[in-house]
Amino acid sequence: MTLAATESEPERIARGLRQRDVALLQSLVQQYQCRLVRYFIFLLGTRDSVDDLVQEAWLRVLERGRSYDGESRFEPWLFAIARNLAIDHARKRRLFSLDSNDDHEPASFSPVSSTASPFEQAARTEDARHLAHSLQSLQPAYREALVLRFQEELSLQEISHIVGASVSTVSSRIYRGLAALRQQMDGGSHAN
Amino acid sequence: MQTDGHASIYNLIDKSLAGEISGQEEQSLRQHLLTCTACRGYLDASNRAIAGLGGFAFETDPGLPDRVFAALTIRAAQLETQRLSHRKLAWSYVAALILTLVGSFVAMQLGDRFAAAFSATHQQVQLGLIAIWIVPSVCFCVLLPTLPMMSKRWMHAKGLSL
Repeated sequence: MTLAATESEPERIARGLRQRDVALLQSLVQQYQCRLVRYFIFLLGTRDSVDDLVQEAWLRVLERGRSYDGESRFEPWLFAIARNLAIDHARKRRLFSLDSNDDHEPASFSPVSSTASPFEQAARTEDARHLAHSLQSLQPAYREALVLRFQEELSLQEISHIVGASVSTVSSRIYRGLAALRQQMDGGSHAN
Repeated sequence: MQTDGHASIYNLIDKSLAGEISGQEEQSLRQHLLTCTACRGYLDASNRAIAGLGGFAFETDPGLPDRVFAALTIRAAQLETQRLSHRKLAWSYVAALILTLVGSFVAMQLGDRFAAAFSATHQQVQLGLIAIWIVPSVCFCVLLPTLPMMSKRWMHAKGLSL
């Protein structure tokens, strides 16, 4: 039996990253491009600079690929890299703080723009159109928890690892995010 | 919709959606949902909100993958060059270290023979070896590890940094 036949997907990716296998990276770029774009938009609440951040994220994957051990899934490791880049980017622009430990703190960044938000532009279903406004005004940390849990289908532990917060903080963010969206969906009849 | 009587079940529904509900809690939740319209409504609204999150299609620049591939290829080549130069540097350091040790050994052990061969004193031979062999080797040993840093500074100063 060959090595390739016995190793798991994360192990195969880890081996490729150790060898700085550009072909592997190209396939990962194709596979994860849309997901990274979505994550950055949910995190930053804007489409600006997202393409640059995606490119920078893959360059970091190439440079730091040796630190991925292949024992856990690749996605949390990739999103952790993306998150650090987004935080650096946000700090540079002084838009908002994703590092805030106070979940009660109001979002300090609400882009004022006459054009439609990235969520309004990307909404393809009736429900998504309902949520678009609510998402734009939601705190980035809540949006992030929602997208990682319900779109990326990561576990609470994996999300906790990515955001560097406790599992209880992550679940609290998910509850609050969901509450805000639910309120938007049914006009507030289920507000907690 | 009245929430007071159902708050604990709403909490269970939230826990279930977040993925942290226990088997026992899930069972009691299922039983409750069979008979409670209000809580089923809460679950439906939550599921609609979650489904709504999947209703966004963010457009991506079709040229982005090509740009990323090009950047990755260039960066991979730079990293490979860097790796090779680090390897060369490591070998040079080992060579300089060996030269230092061998030079010191020669100066100590074979000084007398050299002195006889060149009609010089033992001290003169040792000074000569120190000057033309040991000191340059030691200098290489000390300077080589600083080369990458110096080269990085030079590239930065010239605007060539990566």
